[in-house]
Amino acid sequence: MSGLLLVAGREISTQVRTRAFVIGLLVSVVLVGGLAFAPKLFGGPDEYNLGRVGGQELAIQALAPDAKITWKTYPDEKAATTAVLDGDIDVAVVDSKRVLTNGEIDDQLGLMLQSANREAQIGAAGVTITPLQVQSVGADTRYESARQGIATVIVLLLFFMIISAVMTVAMGVVEEKGSRIVEILLISIRPWQLLGGKILGLGVVGFLNLVAVVAAGLVGAFLSGFAADFPPGMTGIVVSAVLWWILGYAFFAVLAGSLASLVSRQEEVGNVLQPMMLLFMISYGVSFFASANPDHPVSEILSFVPPFSSMVMPVRMAASEVAIWEVLLSGALMLVAVAGVLTLGGRIYERAVLRTGKRVKVSEVLRTK
Amino acid sequence: MGVMLEIRGLRKTFGAGKVALDGVSFAVPAGQMFGFVGANGAGKTTTMRIVMKVLAADEGEVIWNGRPLTFTERRTFGYMPEERGLYQKMRVGEQIDYFGRLHGLDAATVGKSRDALVERLGLTARVGDTVESLSLGNQQRVQLAVALIHDPELLILDEPFSGLDPIAVDVLAEVLHERARGGVPVIFSSHQLELVERLCDAVGIVSAGRMVASGTVDELRDAEGRRLRVVVRDAKPGWAEGLPGELSKDGDRDVLTVVGGDDQTVLRKATEAGHVEFFGVERPTLVEIFREAVA
Repeated sequence: MSGLLLVAGREISTQVRTRAFVIGLLVSVVLVGGLAFAPKLFGGPDEYNLGRVGGQELAIQALAPDAKITWKTYPDEKAATTAVLDGDIDVAVVDSKRVLTNGEIDDQLGLMLQSANREAQIGAAGVTITPLQVQSVGADTRYESARQGIATVIVLLLFFMIISAVMTVAMGVVEEKGSRIVEILLISIRPWQLLGGKILGLGVVGFLNLVAVVAAGLVGAFLSGFAADFPPGMTGIVVSAVLWWILGYAFFAVLAGSLASLVSRQEEVGNVLQPMMLLFMISYGVSFFASANPDHPVSEILSFVPPFSSMVMPVRMAASEVAIWEVLLSGALMLVAVAGVLTLGGRIYERAVLRTGKRVKVSEVLRTK
Repeated sequence: MGVMLEIRGLRKTFGAGKVALDGVSFAVPAGQMFGFVGANGAGKTTTMRIVMKVLAADEGEVIWNGRPLTFTERRTFGYMPEERGLYQKMRVGEQIDYFGRLHGLDAATVGKSRDALVERLGLTARVGDTVESLSLGNQQRVQLAVALIHDPELLILDEPFSGLDPIAVDVLAEVLHERARGGVPVIFSSHQLELVERLCDAVGIVSAGRMVASGTVDELRDAEGRRLRVVVRDAKPGWAEGLPGELSKDGDRDVLTVVGGDDQTVLRKATEAGHVEFFGVERPTLVEIFREAVA
């Protein structure tokens, strides 16, 4: 065990000190954190600056509870006109009769002003209006778009965070094999300690990376106010995405590490990893599909089939409602798959990693004792 | 039974029916410096790789202190492979420490051992540098430090002297001697036969996968037989007829090399034949023994 931990420790301390790691982390944190502000930057204005010359403030706050509405008073129409033209305010309401705009009025603002004006006049006439109550008899779809957005983010997050960590494992295995360091390492430790330690160490690094990015995204979402749109159970969605990352990483990292041990040169890594990449790209594609169609039979079935489930299930959980037994079953199946790939991959690695030179065939490795 | 490494009947055939080892056997007792020589492809590296279990033998055994070598015992060995292997981007000191820790030493022991080693190998100033920034000679010293950090019970070094400057060769030779004096069997391969002759207590010559000669340098010399060399100037033609040996001409000098035979008879005939310029018993160098053995 101590051999495994020593290897893991070396991987962590080597990795976090590389410039690539530090820069990569900073860039992804800034990108993801910034992304949380995107809805605010690109979405419609939910902030209105209004001017008033005489008359009453129109009660539009009640019509747009989320919007930030500021009223300013101007002494006369001329001052209000200047303010509109300068862009200090969006529109100015003069004597509750006219609205001064610079060009066309924002559709939503126009409707709200008209509606508030109507209510004010009707109210002044002594009539009370009872607003219509909206009641959904279908599923609660208030958060549908938010859920879909979050599911998409999870797909991308899992995709980048799994593949970057997995490729580091593959590269590390080939580095050690190609430079013959393994020949010295394997005097003092067993192959499983070397591969296991590498996967564990780089996994810890990948995990820290993931947590940092997720934290940046959440902080960004709270700062930008986007968090207000989070569906209920958001904590669960985030935590489960992180847990699924661990399972997905474990599966693909073992596969990548053992396949990489078949070759001795970095240039050959891409080639030898093709079967793994195919599996991974299918998982990615299906999970992308599932983010938009979480209840489609394909999404539902593949959310149980390892290794696709490692990316499809967290996406389904974010995009839709998934029963707890489904999650547990899928997780258990994925664990079994990880154990399976560990047994097989460990055997491949152990037999191939000392056979330097030309690419070793999997069939050859599995046949020999 | 004292510390001893025995190699018994190693055989190894590679993929395309290429026989790399064809029954190699030898033994290296405690404190012996064993020089492993042979042409390229003779089987030196293959033998060493089998001892270190980088390769599996088809047949044969590696015996340590009378029993088949186990992983735990091999863990106490120090190994320097022919194709050096170090983490290029790792610092020298950290690298040495890492391998020491992998061998099961605690951090304090590793620190002490590392300080002594880098001092001895002249690497003190480079401890904080990455391996890739060092010259090849210095990288080799680091490689050696990695092999020595855990105070190994046996040393197997594949071409440890190649590429070193004369001063580094002396340092390395001295370090290996120290270890041997401490009771450690030291096995190393080399193409520098003069060096092997100077350093080693015993030599093994492999050729085409077989151990064609092994023993102490003196034993090998004796096995070659005593060689008498006589140089006679202006000798009468035909004087050496009947003598067991080879006669060659070097200008107006006759040079006679005799293996066996009675030296007094040879001397008498030579003085009768002409002016004797040289008469003496020649000890064959390792180079000559080697040429003879692999021929």
